[in-house]
Amino acid sequence: MLINQLKEAPKSRLIFYSIVIVSCLLSFIFVYHNHSLYDRPIVKVVETIIIDTETTVDGLQNKDERFTQKIEAVVQNGEHKGKTIYLTNEYSSSGAYDQAYKRGHDLFVKIVQTEDGLLTGHIMNVKRDKYVVITAWVFIFTLLLIGRKQGLFSMVSLGINIVLLSLVLDYYVKNPQSNLLWLSALMVVLFTVISLLFVSGLNDKAYAAIVTTLVGTFSSLFITYVVLSITSDSGIYYEGMSFLTRPYRLIFLAGLFIGSLGAVMDVAITMSSSIFELYEKNKDISVKQLKETGLEIGRDVMGTITSILFFAYVSGSLPMLILYLKNGVPFGFTLSMNLSLEIARALAGGIGVVLTIPISLYTAIFFVQRKRANI
Amino acid sequence: MNAIGLLSVILFTLMAFVGGRQGVRSFVALLLNLLAVILTVFFMLNTSINLLIITLIACVLISCINLFFINEINDKTIAAFLATIITVTILLLFIHLVTKYALIQGFSEEETDEISGYSLYIGIDFVKIVTSVIIMSTIGAIMDVAISISSSLHHLLRLNPLLNKKELFQSGLNIGRDILGTDANTIFFAFFGGYLGLLIWFKDLEYSFGEIVNSKVFSGEMMTIFCAGIGIALIIPISSWISTFILMRDKEKSTSNN
Repeated sequence: MLINQLKEAPKSRLIFYSIVIVSCLLSFIFVYHNHSLYDRPIVKVVETIIIDTETTVDGLQNKDERFTQKIEAVVQNGEHKGKTIYLTNEYSSSGAYDQAYKRGHDLFVKIVQTEDGLLTGHIMNVKRDKYVVITAWVFIFTLLLIGRKQGLFSMVSLGINIVLLSLVLDYYVKNPQSNLLWLSALMVVLFTVISLLFVSGLNDKAYAAIVTTLVGTFSSLFITYVVLSITSDSGIYYEGMSFLTRPYRLIFLAGLFIGSLGAVMDVAITMSSSIFELYEKNKDISVKQLKETGLEIGRDVMGTITSILFFAYVSGSLPMLILYLKNGVPFGFTLSMNLSLEIARALAGGIGVVLTIPISLYTAIFFVQRKRANI
Repeated sequence: MNAIGLLSVILFTLMAFVGGRQGVRSFVALLLNLLAVILTVFFMLNTSINLLIITLIACVLISCINLFFINEINDKTIAAFLATIITVTILLLFIHLVTKYALIQGFSEEETDEISGYSLYIGIDFVKIVTSVIIMSTIGAIMDVAISISSSLHHLLRLNPLLNKKELFQSGLNIGRDILGTDANTIFFAFFGGYLGLLIWFKDLEYSFGEIVNSKVFSGEMMTIFCAGIGIALIIPISSWISTFILMRDKEKSTSNN
């Protein structure tokens, strides 16, 4: 409603953009001045000098450089606010688990006071909130300027979905007896209804897509579950999830369930809008023609959507692959350890995508036939 | 047979059954994509070439597989290819700027168990690696938007040959906006699914909001989501413009030849 008004009345569009710009500026001011809201001491780096450089060669002839830098910083909050603090940081030019600090970086530190009253301490973490906020605004402006209404919709639905995910996970963590798979099933239903209603509004097209998405994701999860059970998880290495103190397999399955949802929705909405479009353009179109054209559209999107999933999952393993291989770990072992979970996710998602094509074809045709019968 | 093998067989059978020859081709493309990623990793291991350039070359290779192999070389795919490469280049520079300041590279606390025992001083710039990770996780979606726009515009121009440049570009934007939401959803949910373990870990540790937002891994994931969204939006005008340019040029060519 609001969005339609925006489109028609330039004045309210102006107001909308003013609100966006004002909140952008306010959030910048906030994020650059929120140090007092943090309990942990934060310091701002004012000057750094490198006091030591060392070239290292490890057992496999990997050359690297290691530096030690002295940092002069000013405390931004707490009882020492405004005082100068001196810190030391070691980093390498690789930066795999360390980093160089530069003027302007905000750091969380643990302050130690020396006997002669000088402040020093240990660096605990980097204050990254301002970078998240800056990137977020670039994202918001790009989506609004290019995507207009649809850009706004996809951001709102992203926001709602994140809040929902967070709420459900809170419930899961606080209720040890709850089953994550059932909770995910609930999330999947809510995500589907919210996202698809946002994309196409309350109509038959959306209902067809919702039914299809649910059938598609649930059957893809079912197939994957059966496969994992009969092969007793062989070839799947859960080591990448070893930081969790909870059952890995369940979390993996739940992640897979949610992960394939977007892709399945994408296919479902593309198929059902095309079939409804075909029917709207030509009310006498035969079921056979609908089937043929629908299948053709499905074939076209199948490959690219599976690729989207593949890259979204697999790319994250790059740093670990590089670390393993550079440390002389055998190639096969490196791949199984670091890619098995991601590839299983991509395959399961792909199965969901392909299954959804016939499912959405028949569901959309069923809805079209019902509409036809009602006329 | 192990689980991965069985899942692959099921996916292959389904793709071949539903998609026929095109389905088989899509499956082969998936294998080639995996090969391209592994090849990229190998190039990154031993090189004096800037890793960002290697990433760009990897993107060119991946685009060739997914645009020219799944479809074929024609107006539509060439337009989509050019648009993808231009978008990826712009995005690469932006992401590198972000990663340079935000210090989200390398490994984080939850991975300490996994990396313990390995030498971390391996002489590879992890800031560029994380840039590469972010861009590669989005390239699938970027290519999808590009090919959807260029092939729709191709059909549109064939059905309405009288459309002028401006109208064609405008239609490209409209088509792009329609797929923006669904493609963004595809990639966002894939990220959520992948991050689920991490999110539960954060909740288990009862991190405060401030700690979560500033942690390397969470802020890194958020920035990945944002950069992916920026990429999917950015390709829309770029692809519309390039498709319009190429299609119009070809139309003029064919009319002047007649």
